[in-house]
Amino acid sequence: MGRKKKKQMKPWCWYCNRDFDDEKILIQHQKAKHFKCHICHKKLYTGPGLAIHCMQVHKETIDGVPNAIPGRTDIELEIYGMEGIPEKDMQERRRVLEQKTQESQKKKQNQEDSDEEEEDEAGPSFQQPAAQTPATYMPPMAQPGIPPGPRAQGMPPANYSGMPPMMPGVPPMMPGMPPVMPGMPPGMMPMGGMMPPGPGMPPMMPGMPPGMPPHVARPGMPPIAQAAPVTAPGMPARPAVPAAITQSTPTKPLFPSAVQAQQTASGPSSTTSDPPKATFPAYTQATASPAAPSSSTVAKPPATVTSKPATLTTTSATSKLMHPDEDISLEERRAQLPRYQRLIPRPGQASIAAPPSGAASGMITPQQGMPPQQPGIRPPIHSQYGAPPQGMPGYMPPYGQSAPMVPPYQGAPPGPPMGMRPPVMSPGGRY
Amino acid sequence: MSLFGTSSGFGTGGTGVFGSTTTDSHNPMKDVEVTSPPDDSISCLAFSPPTMPANFLIGGSWANDVRCWEVQDNGQTVPKAQQMHTGPVLDVCWSDDSSKVFTASCDKTAKMWDLNSNQAMQIAQHDGPIKAIHWIKAPNYSCVMTGSWDKTLKFWDTRSPNPMMSLQMPERCYCADVVYPMAVVATAERGLIVYQLENQPSEFRRIDSPLKHQHRCVAIFKDKQNKPTGFALGSIEGRVAIHYINPPNPAKDNFTFKCHRSNGTNNSTPQDIYAVNAIAFHPVHGTLATVGSDGRFSFWDKDARTKLKTSEQLDQPITACCFNHNGNIFAYASSYDWSKGHEYYNPQKKNYIFLRNAAEELKPRNKKW
Repeated sequence: MGRKKKKQMKPWCWYCNRDFDDEKILIQHQKAKHFKCHICHKKLYTGPGLAIHCMQVHKETIDGVPNAIPGRTDIELEIYGMEGIPEKDMQERRRVLEQKTQESQKKKQNQEDSDEEEEDEAGPSFQQPAAQTPATYMPPMAQPGIPPGPRAQGMPPANYSGMPPMMPGVPPMMPGMPPVMPGMPPGMMPMGGMMPPGPGMPPMMPGMPPGMPPHVARPGMPPIAQAAPVTAPGMPARPAVPAAITQSTPTKPLFPSAVQAQQTASGPSSTTSDPPKATFPAYTQATASPAAPSSSTVAKPPATVTSKPATLTTTSATSKLMHPDEDISLEERRAQLPRYQRLIPRPGQASIAAPPSGAASGMITPQQGMPPQQPGIRPPIHSQYGAPPQGMPGYMPPYGQSAPMVPPYQGAPPGPPMGMRPPVMSPGGRY
Repeated sequence: MSLFGTSSGFGTGGTGVFGSTTTDSHNPMKDVEVTSPPDDSISCLAFSPPTMPANFLIGGSWANDVRCWEVQDNGQTVPKAQQMHTGPVLDVCWSDDSSKVFTASCDKTAKMWDLNSNQAMQIAQHDGPIKAIHWIKAPNYSCVMTGSWDKTLKFWDTRSPNPMMSLQMPERCYCADVVYPMAVVATAERGLIVYQLENQPSEFRRIDSPLKHQHRCVAIFKDKQNKPTGFALGSIEGRVAIHYINPPNPAKDNFTFKCHRSNGTNNSTPQDIYAVNAIAFHPVHGTLATVGSDGRFSFWDKDARTKLKTSEQLDQPITACCFNHNGNIFAYASSYDWSKGHEYYNPQKKNYIFLRNAAEELKPRNKKW
């Protein structure tokens, strides 16, 4: 990008570490969340302002900024939007952000075909103008550089793409994506790489100068069609690239065939890890995550299981989780109780009582239901027990894995619920 | 805030009167009470699919039973039949042709209940309690999918005692949903796996959980073309995540929202955060309902990202909910979910299932953004 920004990063709230697109939104957020009087809901402009208001109007003192993360609750610091943030915290934030962007950039760069390094090698080659033909698009595709043949024509597209700072005959800049990469938002990289050059080309055309398409299109089309990395024509396509991507995505089926599934799976999944982070930057307020590490990362589910029943942090200063402490589901907890395990057959106790359901053949065709005239019909579940397994070969073999047979009933059915059964459907199953 | 006051025996305030309309808070929404509710907590509810002209409601409970009621158009409910397991019933589902009900239980078995003959037979076996059961109807196969605490997901042709397929999961199955060709399973330790069911079930993707707490319930939603496109995932921490499988812009399209919490704005007292016990999508409007341990249900429009309605607070948690096939009826069950542990369990306390007219309240808002 080449523009020196003083406060490179996006506006963020000092009180709760959340990111915002715009300083205006940040200020609105601060007024609503941090500078709002809890008594009368009046929105003040600063922390000290809020403190003074509460004192004068309500005769109440407040000792901290509401909804602030621990360590950032100082009510006396006059912070408004991004102004007033102590330099120390700014630097710390910058460092943290840089680490984050470096990590994600590195990841995305690794996904690309190591364009960067090869681009550097191809750099000097760009000094030789016009000597190479457009056909040299091919080799540079392995290296992402643009052959100097179209280079002369390639430059103007760089122009038109709105990258004047890069324009001034800097050959390495010309090739497009790779040199652009550092300055470009990291998100462009994979898009450039993934973009199918075929459908991507048409949207690019309008961005090119009128003279360009003939030059770039003809020689460019065939080689570019094979090129995965984006070339100079790709630059003007930057705004169009998202369009190309979004056009192609909806037409894909929900579950593409296995091959594609892997590609798309790696793509979206690499991006899904980020959004949850961005969506809940201020999560520190709520209860801490159960067995997972700090709230700044989305932990992989199985990775952090240490002891069997891990415990949750159910109480924090601001909230109380209405859930027992162990990190097992409520049903698991309840099912452990003896009263709910009374009737469940234990291994070793299993005896082969007849599953008192209908004959095997009768059940196979669901559509027909059970013809009541079937001679082999067994009494229904509730009534008789201990009927010997006659003619039920289909069910005697063990189900699935467990060695002991688990018959559905061992003892007498519980009495009370039986009484509830209404006369409408005869329990005898006879019609 | 105590839900039950003192657990001094038989309920407080007229709960013993059947269908009473006194001012006790067991039915603050004045919804229709289903007759003959189960004697212990209701774990699951399911309405009959469109293939059945009438509305039949199935409810499984911790009393080991599965009950069937006919819900008539005038609101009357008629108990029809009942089946038993030897352990608490954790999940139920219907076959697509409305002739069978599948029931899953802590007794590690699943049964197929033929309603015409009122016969039930075992069709599945696991090494641990079966927590989720769904019927899959694919063009080239049909089967029952069972998810269990034994960390396996098995698919059963009801005619054979051996599973057609068994998939290993990273952790115990806590909840699942199926809308062909997609299936989602949420497991312990915040695991989240999407399966695709075309040709045969296979694991499609493991997703990093959008939530930071234990998963509790999941429901798939569909897009305007009636194809499954994402799911809503609820956790024990009063939060639901809306997650699309292949969104154009994941950062913007996926989001979470808080729900089932007390003390909205007040900073001084700690906020009580309740588990989301179940989520159900309206079959016509695509809006969703959530029910929580706080004893409330809420309706939401996920596209407009707004809340449509929150109910009054019932005196017990709401443990299950479902819509009927055309979305006119919303059923929800009021019973103890163990969220406060063993101490607050009162076996004498009556459990309820309520039916509410859902045709109007779940209409989507106009898109605001």
